[in-house]
Amino acid sequence: MTYYVTTILVYFGVDALAIWGLNVQYGLCGLYNFAFILFQSLGAYTAAVLTLGPASGNGGYQHYVLGASLPFPLPLIAAGLAGAGLGIVLGLLTRRVGADLMAVLTFVVSVMAVLVVSAVIPLFNGPAGLSSVPAPLQSTFHISYSSYPWFFVGVVAVVCAIALISVRALTNSPLGRAMRAIRENEKACSALGKNVAGLKLFAFAYGGALIGVSGALLVMFIGAWSPGSWEVIETLSAFAAIIIGGTGNNYGVVAGVFVTQIFLTELTRFLPQFSATNLIGSMQWIVIGVLTLAFMWFRPRGIFPERKRVIELDRLDPSESRSHDLGSSTAGRSQEAQKSQ
Amino acid sequence: MVGGSGTVLVAAIGFGVVSAAVIALAAIGFTLQVGISNIWNFAYGDIMIACSYAGYAANHAGASIPLCVVVGAVVGSILSIATNRLIFMRFLARGVSSFGMLIVSLWCGVVLQNILLAVFGDHFFTYKLNVSRPNAALKDLGFLLNSTQLSIIGLAVVLIFLLYLFLEYTQLGQAMRATSSNSSLARVSGINTARVIDITWGISGALCGVAGVVFAITVGAFESTSGEGFLVIVFAAAMIGGLGKPLGAALGGLVLGVAMEVLAVYIQSDLKEIAALGILVALLIFRPQGLFRGVSSAKGAAPA
Repeated sequence: MTYYVTTILVYFGVDALAIWGLNVQYGLCGLYNFAFILFQSLGAYTAAVLTLGPASGNGGYQHYVLGASLPFPLPLIAAGLAGAGLGIVLGLLTRRVGADLMAVLTFVVSVMAVLVVSAVIPLFNGPAGLSSVPAPLQSTFHISYSSYPWFFVGVVAVVCAIALISVRALTNSPLGRAMRAIRENEKACSALGKNVAGLKLFAFAYGGALIGVSGALLVMFIGAWSPGSWEVIETLSAFAAIIIGGTGNNYGVVAGVFVTQIFLTELTRFLPQFSATNLIGSMQWIVIGVLTLAFMWFRPRGIFPERKRVIELDRLDPSESRSHDLGSSTAGRSQEAQKSQ
Repeated sequence: MVGGSGTVLVAAIGFGVVSAAVIALAAIGFTLQVGISNIWNFAYGDIMIACSYAGYAANHAGASIPLCVVVGAVVGSILSIATNRLIFMRFLARGVSSFGMLIVSLWCGVVLQNILLAVFGDHFFTYKLNVSRPNAALKDLGFLLNSTQLSIIGLAVVLIFLLYLFLEYTQLGQAMRATSSNSSLARVSGINTARVIDITWGISGALCGVAGVVFAITVGAFESTSGEGFLVIVFAAAMIGGLGKPLGAALGGLVLGVAMEVLAVYIQSDLKEIAALGILVALLIFRPQGLFRGVSSAKGAAPA
């Protein structure tokens, strides 16, 4: 029971973290990143090779690059940096590409990456994937196997709290406002003098870092990662979570994650095993698919729509600003003079 | 394996032409849909595999292979018109963005794929075929192709030629090209664009169905997820030929099919798909506008 509860909590936290990352890219800045799962996998592989130690150790049954065994927070940070790096690379690749082609391009890159990792075994051990990734801090603090899952839940909670604070700050900052402007009307935003290309790259990198860290936490918890675990469907269900929860709303998307990744998955687990197991697996995807389409039809803004940010008009009224600012008072007066004529 | 690398190369070109036939048929259907409705139909690969299953059912019910191809074409046609009419056109009419349409079509594909998985189960399926020996006359030239493979090539050539004649010389074909290049203009010229769109999806669905059946025959064994990997190859062929251009897609399919098989002679064979996707990525990055002239005017093809 403990194992079940902690596993669900860790998955929920990790998925929430990843979805905040994707929400910065898609919900906030309107970037169509269909390579979501590639970011998560890169984070997972980075963290794995940085904790597994040299590849020649452990009998050398796994082949991978860059074997190291760094102390705990470092692999996590490295995974974040790797995700950010991938974000910048993809951002530069899609720089001149139109909106929906960006989705196709990232989709193809994601499919291609699975093929490359499977074909080039020295990279990350090919189709078999990496396994026996050590659990962080278990040996340093001598935590028993029974209480370790709860410890890890704590680690995930801390990382999620930091991520939420930073994502909230970004959403409410002028930077976040500029990103929303890009999402709504890129040309107008560019005409207002915003550095659209730079902001997009920043959103790609920022979101990528969060998704990368989520992959690292996941691999540290389950201890293994292989190309089979990062299919396109994972990217699609992340988008489903955002659409169902509420695009652009940091709390809404967590609700979306809860519905798609936790509630529906666990619900099917408790269904009576009336038939072959693959039927239940398929039912789950069919339900998520139909639910996503239903939301796009009936409630395209999601369960919790993004808050409308309104700047009240009287705060922009020149008569008010006159009392504060001498410079603008003359401008206001000359406008009034023009009106009266 | 007696001869040198020259023999291997010739044989590879032969196999390449067979897979090119399959890719070309699928890519033409795909590119027609992009041209007429401006939709990247990500459910295309899954509809194709649904037709493979339809052909499989017909095949195991005792139908001959040509009949299976017809069954696949009919099922593909019905499925394509249905998804376009009942789902895609309605979402488009609601003003869903083109990115939203990608999500819609992807989920349609996933739902279809999982229905197939639930109905047929998660193992591989094979058609019952009378496998004949390689054609003797061609064997002397170095091609190792049996009569089934030769018929697939023949079928593709005939279908592409018929499609060409249809698009170039019939009134309906002209109406299709007109709707594809500018649907509003086509509508004010008195073309019933809604009907033309239906017919286009019907034709493209039929091609998709034929491709599904011949795909299943050429690869030998297929499963519900086989469409996923094939879809990106179809994208690549359509992009090489210029999106929205049926004959370009046929050419793209030929180039890609032969190039992949020939590459497989020289490099690790699982790298051939990576090479094909590399071409696609390069095209998307470096020639996105250049290849999209055929489509840009097809925006808003769906009647409001």
